[in-house]
Amino acid sequence: MSSRFRRSGEGLLLSLSEPEHELLRTLPVELRELYEDDRGDDEARGRLFPRAYLDPTEEQSEEEWQELVHPELLRDRLDALTRVVDALETASAGRRGAVVVELGADDVPAFLGVLNDARLTLGTRLDVRDETDVSDLDPGSPQAPVLAVYSWLTYLEGELVEALLGEMPD
Amino acid sequence: MSASTVASTATSVAPVAPTEVGEPEVVDVVVTDRPWIVVVWNDPVNLMSYVVYVFQKLFGYSREKATRLMQQVHFEGKAAVSEGNREKAEADVARLHAHGLWATMEHPG
Repeated sequence: MSSRFRRSGEGLLLSLSEPEHELLRTLPVELRELYEDDRGDDEARGRLFPRAYLDPTEEQSEEEWQELVHPELLRDRLDALTRVVDALETASAGRRGAVVVELGADDVPAFLGVLNDARLTLGTRLDVRDETDVSDLDPGSPQAPVLAVYSWLTYLEGELVEALLGEMPD
Repeated sequence: MSASTVASTATSVAPVAPTEVGEPEVVDVVVTDRPWIVVVWNDPVNLMSYVVYVFQKLFGYSREKATRLMQQVHFEGKAAVSEGNREKAEADVARLHAHGLWATMEHPG
């Protein structure tokens, strides 16, 4: 398992510092706002809810698919936020000032989804590209704090995925 | 969903060739039955390990197959990850979108 996530029954325990815990608590607030903003002009929201049909002439099929699927995709994401908020709010004190978040079996995919959506959102806003090297960033740049958050979320999601892949069959 | 597509296509063709209303319907049935492929596109944010994880979780692929598809997405810009009729492709696209992957569906070739 990874250094951050430990298996606990059907779920996982996540160890955080207090500032990390505080940072994670801000994500559901921002994501909820983005999910519920359906004015349709936000690039990050477009990235989270893309179209299904590549062919632009399939517009009617696209509309039918969106009508059918979008409410469900939105509801599942909002449910995931609620799960993650509950898990973060009921965190307990661990050793040496650590905060321990208990993620039940159903909280794990919710937490992974929230981490991934937060990274997709920040990555879109920061215009991250394949060649972007966040370590090259000037610490004085106005984008530096957001990139630092993005990098830390990348690290944390990497740890979680590593833990989950380790339990999957080859 | 397939039925409504047949109807709408027939309607939209009718004003152009009113004497051939029956014919486009036959053509459209063929079109509707054509298989679909689900394509995942490269994006600079999703972690490679995450993409492998999602392919294994959603499609039950082996680590090797999931990794090969992820690499194809990353290096070639896209990969066809599943195929089937319209309903299956629509469902797969929805599941990939639920996991934050950028997926679309199209006819192969």
